[in-house]
This record gives sequence, C-alpha cells and structure tokens, in this order.
Amino acid sequence: MNHSRGTRRRLALTVVAVFAIVGIFVVKLVDIQVVRASELAAAAESRREISVTTYGTRGSIVDANGVVLADSVERFDITASPRDIGETTRMTVDGARTEVPTSEVLAKVAELTGAVPADLSTSIDAALVVNPDSDFAYLVKHVTLAQFQAVTALDIPWLYSELHPSRSYPSGATAGNLVGFNGTDGPLAGTEYQQNSCLAATNGSSTYERSEDGVRLPGSTVVSEQPVDGGTIHLTIDSDLNWFTQQALATQGQAVGADWGTAMVVRVSTGEIVAAADWPSIDPNNLNSVSAADSGARSFTAPFEPGSIMKPVAFAALLDQGLITPSTQVVVPSAYKQGLPAGTSITDVWSHGDLRLTATGILMNSSNIGTVLLSEKLTEQQKHDYFTAFGFGTQTAVGFLGEEPGTVQSAASIDSISLRTQMFGQGITVTSAQMLGLYQTLGNGGVRLPLTLVSGCEHSDGSWTDVPVETGTRVVSEYAANTTLQMMETVASQGALRNVISIPGYRIAAKTGTAEVAANGGYGADRIVSLAGVFPADHPEYAMVVTFAKPDTIKSSAAAAPAYHAIMEQVIKTFRVTPSTEPAPSLPLTW
Amino acid sequence: MSALPLASPRPLRSPDSRPRPYLEVAPTRAQRRARPRLVPAIVTIAGIGVILLGQLLMSIAVADGAYRISELQSQQRSLEHQQQALTENLEVLSSTQNLTANAENLGMVASGNPVFLDLSTGAVTGNPTAAGGSLTGSAGNQIGNSLLTGTSLVSATTSTPATTSAPSANFAPASRPAAAKPTSAATTAGSSGGSASGSTAPAPSGPATSGSIPSPTTH
Repeated sequence: MNHSRGTRRRLALTVVAVFAIVGIFVVKLVDIQVVRASELAAAAESRREISVTTYGTRGSIVDANGVVLADSVERFDITASPRDIGETTRMTVDGARTEVPTSEVLAKVAELTGAVPADLSTSIDAALVVNPDSDFAYLVKHVTLAQFQAVTALDIPWLYSELHPSRSYPSGATAGNLVGFNGTDGPLAGTEYQQNSCLAATNGSSTYERSEDGVRLPGSTVVSEQPVDGGTIHLTIDSDLNWFTQQALATQGQAVGADWGTAMVVRVSTGEIVAAADWPSIDPNNLNSVSAADSGARSFTAPFEPGSIMKPVAFAALLDQGLITPSTQVVVPSAYKQGLPAGTSITDVWSHGDLRLTATGILMNSSNIGTVLLSEKLTEQQKHDYFTAFGFGTQTAVGFLGEEPGTVQSAASIDSISLRTQMFGQGITVTSAQMLGLYQTLGNGGVRLPLTLVSGCEHSDGSWTDVPVETGTRVVSEYAANTTLQMMETVASQGALRNVISIPGYRIAAKTGTAEVAANGGYGADRIVSLAGVFPADHPEYAMVVTFAKPDTIKSSAAAAPAYHAIMEQVIKTFRVTPSTEPAPSLPLTW
Repeated sequence: MSALPLASPRPLRSPDSRPRPYLEVAPTRAQRRARPRLVPAIVTIAGIGVILLGQLLMSIAVADGAYRISELQSQQRSLEHQQQALTENLEVLSSTQNLTANAENLGMVASGNPVFLDLSTGAVTGNPTAAGGSLTGSAGNQIGNSLLTGTSLVSATTSTPATTSAPSANFAPASRPAAAKPTSAATTAGSSGGSASGSTAPAPSGPATSGSIPSPTTH
C-alpha cells in the first residue's frame, strides 16, 4: 500500500509541475505574442530594416549640339567621429600601417584634399565643444573622386564620408550668364533657376531588411520608390559660336574701355537665338569671377536707350503704310524745331545746311532730323502700335530670369520731345533681346517669331515638354521688310564703317547706333554704341546686335564694328551661310 | 428400474489429451497489402531527407546570391563613380577653351572664308581667303574656365610630354611662349608633307583618375 501511495503522490506532483510550467509558458506566450507583440515586432524590424535614400540626378543643360554646359557631378564630404579620435591614429601610407600622431593624420588629409590643416582640427574641436560625445563633424566638403580615393586609401578608422551631389559647368564662362548657377541649397540664377522644374530630380527611397554584415536578407520585403532623374534642358545656342562671340566682345570691349557689352545672333527663320553673349561673363564654377552686377545676362535684363539702331522701325512702318518709297525726296534742314518746346531742337550728329536726301540717304546718313520729318506722316498711335508690334515694351518670349520689358510710352501720355526722339531711339528703352527681335522680324519678311533660348526639356523617359510653339505674327508687309533691308544695305556698302564690316561676296544690311545715356536728369558724355543688322540681305539667314556701354576711347558705333564683323564672319563659317547671288539694287541717296 | 444405464454424460474430452491446433485469422489480400514494407519506407525517408537537403542547399545558394548581389552592387556603385568622374573630366577637356588653346598650341590656325561649290551648276561662289590668324586673337582667351586650372596643353613634339600648364583660368598668353617653337616646326613639317614626327601628338595628359576605386560597404 505504501508503494502505491508514493506513486500517486509523485504522479500528482509531476502533473502539477507540468501544468505550472505550461502555465508559465502560456502566460509568457500571451505576453509576447499578444500584449507586447507590436512593440517587439517593431524593435525586431528596426534591428534588421534599413531605409536608404536613393538620389536622382539633376538634369544637365546642353547646347543645340548636345555639348554639356551644366552637369551633375559627384563630390564627397569627408566626415569624422570626433569622440573616437585619440592622440594617435593608425594610418596606411604606401602600404605600411603605422601609428602616428593625429595631427599628422589631419595634415595628410588636408594635403590630399587641398584643405587648410587648421580648419580640420578646428571643426573637430568645435564639434567636441558642443557635445563631448559627438560622433559627427565635417572635415572637408566637396572633394573629388580622386581625392576621396586617396583619403580612403589611408584607412583611417574614425573617418567616414557622404556622397554630395554637386554641379559642374564644363564650359566655364562660355554662356555662363545664360546657364546660371546653383548654390548649396538649390538653383540661384539663369536657366538653372528658370528651368528648375525640368532639371530637378525626385529622390527615391529603398527599405529592406539586412543582416548584421549589411547584406540584404534574401526574400525580405523590399519597398522601393525609384528615383526619377531630372530632365535635360536643350538650349538653342551653339556653345562654340557663343564662346567666339564672347571672345570678340571681350576683346573689343577691353580695347575701347567699355563698361559692358552684349552680342546676340538669331536665326531669322525660326527665332532661335544661336548666340547670346554678355561681357563680362560669370564663370559659374567660380562665383567670385565677376562682380554681382555682372553675374546676370544684361542682354535680357538691362534696358537702355538704343539710339539710331531703332530707326528701321520708322522706315519699315512708313513703307508698310505706303507713305514713303526708298527714293522719297526730303529737304533736311540744319535743325528740327517744329512742335517742340521753345529753346529745344533736334539736330544731327554732324552740322549741315539744307540737305537734299532721299529716304535711303536719311537712313544711310542716320539723320535724326530726316527721320523725324518722315515720321510726321505717322500718327502718335501708329508710332506706338508699331513699336509694340515689333515687341518693344513687353518681355520677349524667352522669359529669361529677371528679363525687363523696357518702356514704350503710350500715345496719350508721351511728351512732344519723346514722341519725336523715340523714332531715333531716344526716350524709349529696350533690351538687346528685343532689338534682336526687331531685326529678326525685318529679316523674316516682316513676320515676328517668338525668340527662343530653350528648345525643350527632354525628360529621363525620353519625352519632350516645353517645346516652344512657333507662331509668327506679321508686323509689316514683306515689301516693307525687304525694302528696309535694301535701304540698310547702303550703310554697309557706302557708310563710314563699310571697310570694317563688309565681307566680300555677302550683302549685309546693317544699322549703326550711338545713343546718349541719360544720367542725373540729362544726357551726358557717355554713349551706348551699337551695330545691328541682317545678313545675307538677299536671302536673310541671321540677324545680330552688338552693343557696348560707355566706351572710353571711341564714342561711336565704330567701337562695335570690329566685333560685329568678327562675329558675322564666324556665323558664316559656323553655319555655312552661302554668299549672295544677286547684286544689291542701286538706291539713290541724294537728289 | 430399468437397467438402462443412466444416461451418463459424455466423457469429457481430456483437455490435454491432444495439442490444440494453432489457429490464426488469415489476413485478407487487402490487409496483406497494407502491411508496412521496408522499401517504401526507406524511399520515403530518403525522399524527405533529399528534400530537406535540397532546401538547405537552396538556402545556401540564395544566401550566397545575396552576398554576390551586394558585392556586385557595390562594384556597380564604384564603377558608376568612376564613370561619372571620367565623364566630368571628358566634358571639361572638350570645352571650347581647352580645345582652342590646344589647337593653337599645336599650330592650328583659323580657317578662311568658306567657298561653296554648287553641284547642280558647277559654279563656285564665295571669296576664298587663306587660312591664318588666331581664333583667340593677340589677347588670348578671355572667357575663363576655372575648371581648366592646372590642365596641361598637348604639345606638338613627340619627345617631350606636355609641360606647359595654364597657371590661371584664362590661359594667359604668358603660358604659351614655350609652345611657339614646336608650333612653327609642326607647320613647316605639315606644309612640306614630309616627316610624320610633327603630326603625331602624344595623348593628352589630362588629370587622370588614378588609384583604387572606393568600394564602400553598406552598413
């Protein structure tokens, strides 16, 4: 009996023990699986899971031939963990790993990256002052791949790195003003800023589970959003031609001591700007290369009183209205006073008695008096309407960052002096781009096309947007436009600058301009000198404008002529412009 | 009383008189067939073993693949870095400023007026002029490019590598006198159509990306 009782007691104990153990397990199981389930799962996930930002690449800016003007490049920021930096550091130099003083390591890093050694220790000390346990400080920012590789080869234990997408402008100052530049936080100027919506990339992210040594766990869920690279902006300019244009502009600008200059070339049949040069021009790689005032594109943003290069508007309008012919005979007096306030008069640059000039002679000699006399045939409203129809007073279709509309005074508010002087380009302000639009219109048979600088945005998937729609508007009749060009040819064939600007075999229609610059409520000694024109005159292909502000040595359009000639010749070479086939008509200048 | 013998019970068979024959329920055919057999058992167990082993091997292969992917991705990244850096160098070297400076350093001159041949009429139009003169003019390149700082120009001589380097972004003319001699030498060699020594230029010694490629590991 004792034996049996003992057995039963043991059995009971065992059952109780088993139940107790199972009970503990159940409680623990419920605790883990139900009560703390989400908390533990999250903790587990976070140990395994890693979220990585994948960077899209900002699009590039290219010229008409695909030459890259702005491109995204990879730079690296070298960082350090200050708390791990001791007095000495192990470093590998030339294959040998040695323990050297930390200062020597910093000096070596500085030497390899071109940084100042003192800056490195300063940034480490600064981080330690803020937080003695700091494990992050920038040592050197923006190092190239070669420098980064050299630093990595040192195998310094407390050194880390970050990828730092950056921007490079391989062509330097060529079209630098048009391209603009990026700051550390994004685009700041020019096309970079204006076309940011096309250029900007969308960053993606990738989340996956990883093992302890950083390898993605096979079969783990990967949540990834693909980054979208930015689009490519295609400009209409030819970068080689733009370089030459800038070069010619800079050379001549320095020779005559001008403050600044602009030169633009447009294809008359399409309105595409093939060269837009500014001098001085910023090198976007080095924002200190020019002053802040010179970092924009004056060709779009600096309105000025253009002077006589505006006269073709008057002649084209008069021809369009049928009010004159090239041989209309005018007696040009020594001064014009009609309708002006007492004591004021309009004169010509050279003093003369009564001249018997034809309309062509007036344009060739750039007679202000003659131009104003002929323009009397136009009403105030007609003058205003022709100016606006040629695109003055409104921004061009380019819509460049900070582009100015210039000023055309309304017929109702204009004073009696400006009403007349605007016909020879004083009392009206325009930008070089607008002036280019005028000559494009004359070269395109009187049809004004919207000027374009950007031919489109090519997205990373190959689709194109922002392609300009070229709808022309007729400003003057084809007869008026072509006849104005023929009259302008006399400037290049018989004017004072004929020897400088003529190119054998090519008929060139050009107009000179020497404008007085308003300052302190009057006109001083400063001039803005220009040459504008269309070539070849018998089958116009390109129109161009060259302008210099405030030259010191030559205060007439002769200052702009050498640059004009050089650029025109280069355009002919670049685009294989064929020579003229018909001789120019002989238009009488006097009677 | 009759003398009939009383009905007596049958003598009991003695239980131990004869051994009782061994009896057994014969299994039906189906029952016989259902009886476990050794061969199928071995096959099944071996099969399970093979499946488990296969799964293990596949896991190993997949895990190995993960490392391989990681390694290749790292390699791809570093190759992309390298490609980027080389593209960047190429773009800078193809800039107009660099090409112009090198062309002039090699003695090349600007072309003259173009002349056109009309194929339909055979007529030649245009006023030909001799090629000559510098594209940049006497003042040298005015359009700066700070990325070209330190880039050396290609020399026309085959014996000495390019040592003329632009000290500033503007390719100041002062950096070119050393190239004047090889320039004229190359021109005369070219016009006489003789020796090839002047016509072969060494490869441009631009800033090359040397050293190992960084192979960062993901952590």
